[in-house]
Amino acid sequence: MTTKITIDPITRIMGPLSIEVEIKKDKIVDAKSGGIQFRGFEKMLIGRPPLDAVYFTERICGICSTSHGLVASLALEDALKINPNENGVKVRNFAHGAEYLQNIMRQICIFVFPDYVNITVAPGNAGYDFRLSEKYTEKINKDYVKALECSRLAHEIIALIGGKAPHNHGVFVGGTTSNMDASKIIRLKSILHSISEFMCENMVYDINIIAHYYPEYFKIGGGTKNLLTYGLFHDMHNKEMQYVQPSSYIDGEVATLDPKSITESSAFSWYKDSVPSEVPSNHPSETDIKKPGAYTFIKAPRYKGKVAQVGPLARMILSGSYKNSISTMDRLMARVLEGKKLCEKMFLILEEVEPIPAVQDKYTIPDSAQGIGLCDAVRGALGHWTTIEKGVIKNCDIVTPTAWNLSPIDELGQHGALESALIGTQIQNIKNPIEIGRIVRSFDPCISCATHVNTEYGETYHINIT
Amino acid sequence: MHERKLIKRAIEDIHNGEAKKINFIWIEANGCMGNIISFLNADKPDVVYFLEEMVNLKFSPSLMQAQGEVAYEEFLEVLNTDFILGVEGAITNMDEGFYNIFATYKGIRVPTAEAINLASKKAKAIIAIGTCASFGGISAARPNPTGCISLGNFLGREVINIPGCPANPLWVMGTIASIILHKKVEIDEKGRPIMFFKESNHTNCPRRSYFDNKVYAGKLGEKECMIKVGCKGPITKAYCPLGLWNSRINWPVEANTPCIGCASEFFPDGSEPFVKY
Repeated sequence: MTTKITIDPITRIMGPLSIEVEIKKDKIVDAKSGGIQFRGFEKMLIGRPPLDAVYFTERICGICSTSHGLVASLALEDALKINPNENGVKVRNFAHGAEYLQNIMRQICIFVFPDYVNITVAPGNAGYDFRLSEKYTEKINKDYVKALECSRLAHEIIALIGGKAPHNHGVFVGGTTSNMDASKIIRLKSILHSISEFMCENMVYDINIIAHYYPEYFKIGGGTKNLLTYGLFHDMHNKEMQYVQPSSYIDGEVATLDPKSITESSAFSWYKDSVPSEVPSNHPSETDIKKPGAYTFIKAPRYKGKVAQVGPLARMILSGSYKNSISTMDRLMARVLEGKKLCEKMFLILEEVEPIPAVQDKYTIPDSAQGIGLCDAVRGALGHWTTIEKGVIKNCDIVTPTAWNLSPIDELGQHGALESALIGTQIQNIKNPIEIGRIVRSFDPCISCATHVNTEYGETYHINIT
Repeated sequence: MHERKLIKRAIEDIHNGEAKKINFIWIEANGCMGNIISFLNADKPDVVYFLEEMVNLKFSPSLMQAQGEVAYEEFLEVLNTDFILGVEGAITNMDEGFYNIFATYKGIRVPTAEAINLASKKAKAIIAIGTCASFGGISAARPNPTGCISLGNFLGREVINIPGCPANPLWVMGTIASIILHKKVEIDEKGRPIMFFKESNHTNCPRRSYFDNKVYAGKLGEKECMIKVGCKGPITKAYCPLGLWNSRINWPVEANTPCIGCASEFFPDGSEPFVKY
């Protein structure tokens, strides 16, 4: 006999998500990830002024808007044949790094800590199996509060460069709009210093405590071993500042990213399309909420026809920075360690930012053009494919990280990354299946968009990075 | 800064027992969740202060510990108490609310629109947080694929609107302090608290002397008046040049870009192009 469990809402993520699982005895045998929000940005973008895409698409996501603004800018630079200003690229990458740090602190401390530790400030009660000693519980409670302060500081970095955050104005086509001077640079440096201290000391320590008390989470919630990234800081001239190159790890092989290998299936999504479409598609999908079998507004992007995981763990493995396994706890561990790594990179970038005014041009929109913007947001691979015709946006195909991670089954019957991570998981107490929320949150879902470390745990993950 | 004094007085009154800590529900409707993220950026008072000293936050999908049916039950429990309802995001009620689901309870899907309707009947005060909830905003941008409307239009009654994409935490915090203190917020004809939406960004713009002397920026990144490259300061009532953003450190015009009118009722369709070349 199988038991069906629906958890809706999954709280402490970005946006509405429903998870439905089928449990046989004590094991999950089937899982459905349901993105239960639809907004239709691709439809809204048709006919709009191309340059407006930067600020418009930021509004897709309240927590990673800088990534959308950056990727929209990259697509426009590609379409308009613009070489961005070198100093401007450093400044906007620095701002993008700050968006990552904000995300990592809020995701780990505000969203995930309450899964493993009784956080007194967080509203309500979860009824979880809290295991930490009083001393460590107290420490992590303090760091929850400290994370609220430090994540605010990360958004101050973006505001200093871009006017405000979320939804900044300073990350733009051509680089940035904000002037740099010694006073601003040292201010940015001092803020980063405070964040870095918290991230490299407190958070690395905290995640190791949690991992120590919940070691079985290194064994569950793995899912597909295929990994994908569109890269981060790979456009920096100085190699030391680069972090991860656009690359994939599919069926045991590492390769450079080939954007033409990306397709999207809507077989089980509430859209009319029934055959997988190429990316970019030439028109936005029409919704079909009565479609038999469909259970989500999230589509199913595939790479070379395969399911791939994206996000901090994928980037850390593909950049050769993390060599443990793929699991729930590895995802959390990699996210924190990536924060540490990014702080280091951001200090290097800032060293080279020159105290000079912003370089901007008066951009001319061509009658027709096409551009691709690909870069990782914190949750993973983010792409904007923009087509301009008659001086306005004709089509903008946006494939978000959460679509990669939380996709439904495709026409070949392949489950998405989260679904495959849930299937096979043993549930300790079927009346309170706490494992599900923990596995889901390790993926850091954002439905609005789609919708040194201890490595003594788990098995070693062998992949060779060239 | 009068709004800071107001918040301080509200907190003192709570401590003196003159004002009771009221329950608070924060619902996330159709939007980007940027308003709760913006609210987490609040500074003096910050969110910890807000949670410990100003209200009992009983329901917030982003912050609460519980999930699933337990979370929904916690929501239902608050409805029998005195509470303030805050909603971010626009309301979609098309196709029985299918485009935004709040919870699944005992096998039944509860659309967010329905949950808001339920809570609105018992709330002591209702606040629309951000431009989507206040006016429809970007969620209702043409062709408005999910039929989004503002919270006030959906409920068919007056609510307090705090537009801004996202709403500035200073404006949200100040408005809540006013409710706690006066049980009433002075609002204009569009439901906006007068203390934050009395004048346009243009009126208080530090680049106003450039405008008055007809010295205009020709592109982003320049230091002069942004009106010729698309600035919507004149049609946007907000508090940006006075209260600034984040920890009161900057605002878009100071970053050498135009105001795009994100707090205006015309945003985004009526404030295009954001950047005019």
